Amino acid sequence: MAVETHGTGTLPQIKGVKDVPYDELFVSGHRTCQGCESALVMRHMVKASGPRTIVLGSTGCMYVANTTYYTTPWVVPWMHTQLGASGSAALGTAAGLKVLMRKGKIKDEKINVIAFCGDGGGADMGLGAISATLTHKDYNCLVLLYDNESYANTDIQLSSQTPYGAVTTFSPSGSKKRLMHTRWKKNVPGMLAAGHPESRYIAAGCAAYAVDLMNKIRKALELGGPTFVHTLDPCPKGWDYHPQYSQELGHLAVECGIWPLYEVMDGVCNLTGPTRQIAEGRKKRKPVYEYLKRQGRFAHFADEDVEHFQHEVDKMWTEWLIPGVIPFTVPAKDQTILKIDKKPLHEQKTA
Amino acid sequence: MSDPKETSITVEVVYRGIFQKTLAQRICRSIVLAARKRGHTGTAFARYGDSPERNGVPAKQFAVVAINDLELEASMAKYEPAVVDVSIAVDDTLVKGVESWAWYGRQPIWKPVKKDGFVLVTSDKSPDDVLAQTDTAERPYSLVVVPGGASFAGLWVFKDDHTDYRVLGALAKIAPDWVRLDDVMALIKEQTKDESAVQSARYGYDAAKMRQVKAGEGTSGHEKLQFTKPGWTTMRTGIVVDARKPGERNPQYKKYTARTLRPVVNFDTCIKCTMCWLDCPDECFEVTPEGHYEVVYQACIGCGICAQVCPVKDCIVMVDELRFEDNEDKWQFWKKDRDGYNKWFEAKSGVSADPKVRTPAARQEGSGNANPSANPTSASGGDD
Repeated sequence: MAVETHGTGTLPQIKGVKDVPYDELFVSGHRTCQGCESALVMRHMVKASGPRTIVLGSTGCMYVANTTYYTTPWVVPWMHTQLGASGSAALGTAAGLKVLMRKGKIKDEKINVIAFCGDGGGADMGLGAISATLTHKDYNCLVLLYDNESYANTDIQLSSQTPYGAVTTFSPSGSKKRLMHTRWKKNVPGMLAAGHPESRYIAAGCAAYAVDLMNKIRKALELGGPTFVHTLDPCPKGWDYHPQYSQELGHLAVECGIWPLYEVMDGVCNLTGPTRQIAEGRKKRKPVYEYLKRQGRFAHFADEDVEHFQHEVDKMWTEWLIPGVIPFTVPAKDQTILKIDKKPLHEQKTA
Repeated sequence: MSDPKETSITVEVVYRGIFQKTLAQRICRSIVLAARKRGHTGTAFARYGDSPERNGVPAKQFAVVAINDLELEASMAKYEPAVVDVSIAVDDTLVKGVESWAWYGRQPIWKPVKKDGFVLVTSDKSPDDVLAQTDTAERPYSLVVVPGGASFAGLWVFKDDHTDYRVLGALAKIAPDWVRLDDVMALIKEQTKDESAVQSARYGYDAAKMRQVKAGEGTSGHEKLQFTKPGWTTMRTGIVVDARKPGERNPQYKKYTARTLRPVVNFDTCIKCTMCWLDCPDECFEVTPEGHYEVVYQACIGCGICAQVCPVKDCIVMVDELRFEDNEDKWQFWKKDRDGYNKWFEAKSGVSADPKVRTPAARQEGSGNANPSANPTSASGGDD
């Protein structure tokens, strides 16, 4: 039975803004904030995947705000799934479709399965399920994590994706203690890429770079198997800035080097967009202050906090093996790891 | 000061979600605290249906004040007060209607206000100008305008521009039996130790302009948007909702009442770059046969991203929503009558339609209501 596990080549790469499909599969009338970048991610996601797509959404803004009181903005089939369940829902749906096709109950065709989750649903609660899904290489499904750096739906609580020092409902700045949140943001796409070598595609994107993001989603769906895309979404409500600056903050996050854009495809890591330009020295990284000063959630920062933030980001670029991806390096004196004999086992000489 | 004739009073504050959440909270709490000074009792609460609030989407909070605890409990035994004595709109564009969630419809600002009640609006405009954008009254009420633009802030940084004190002062003028100016001023003095804050309350009391509105006054120009909510008996198994058809927009939730500024487009300078359409989170642009992008005002919520990402100066200009009576798309207008359209564009936006003409920087003044530059957390915000 010809049930393809891997992509069929129906989603070509988008060459530029003029090449973006016009069809809207996620339409107006969703109760998101003004300037909601996550809503834009949803829109770009289904624009890229096309009409033959099933979308599953775990609890979060993109569930509660979008499908407000018995209405929906989705043109494609959409179903709610529980907070930590995006990975399992994606896998189950993909497996179900595969069985129905094998038994001849539905037409054997390429149907994209995308499950989305927020940073709370994906990076905190659902991380285990996503990790498990990424090891099931026989099923085609994409897990998209839209990361607005807090539990934004319930009015901004701290998540593992909240950046260092930011104010949330759980980390208010006080007169005795300025910073209540001093943990560094968890590196989710890097962790998943490092931990799941059989997943063919894992990427970090941002809707401010729309074509780059759509192409990443298309690549993930095209390559097939379980794949993962993580997007950073500026959130006017929780980050506390005027909604009109959503795109600008997305650009700044990338240009300051805080959110590197990259993809890990079939075991090869590529930096994309401005991140690539920065890495190649064609563009200078902006100071993180440019990014921090635009947001009310960092309004309490003292100079030393900005310095610390800058220091951590600098470390990512100067000390990590791959900036933003692999957070360690090899000792300068001992380069053994880089000189490993990479010949096949039978060709290797014994010492 | 006489004793109140009624046993309780209900005040609602209609506000822009998140932007004015703290402001509404402060007003409602202060009403109760000021009334307690006079020996009344009361409570302040937010409407559960608004939670979680979304930036710009109209929301409501309430203050109920009663002569004793028993009367307070009696008036509290409801989820959302259906009838209020005073409705306070802390942004004047809210008089164009309130649509808080799906199936809610677009409700006139005076909808819950009882006969001969009060609608209190903060605005730089005159009562007549505000009334011109308010739905036709079904029963008489008094329109009170408190001078001042809409005070917008963020979730974490509150803009302490005394809007709450001015509103409290104005409230003391219209409901002296419940909230006295002396009590308001004493409360503010206790809370802030700031004489200028106390004087702001007095200014609100003195400068509030009142206008009696008779039934039938107002505009009939706004869209009627009313629904019969589907009950649980009509819902389908598994709460299945029909998907939207391609090309359709959600008819049960239009969301345009979230708009305080609206984008107007200069089609002559548009370079058809697609950026506004591409970056709009609310899918509100339609491509025209000639490749322009026109705003569908039935769907636009006025976030301003399009104006921000547009590479051409003043091609998309954000303009105060109160300057518009209609909700019609404008590309056909431009197509039929370019000069007429450009004159309309210039009149509304205060920007020249001719890109060669330099527009003075002061142009923002007219569209200053809910102006992003007034937001303390925007462009030059943070710890600058």
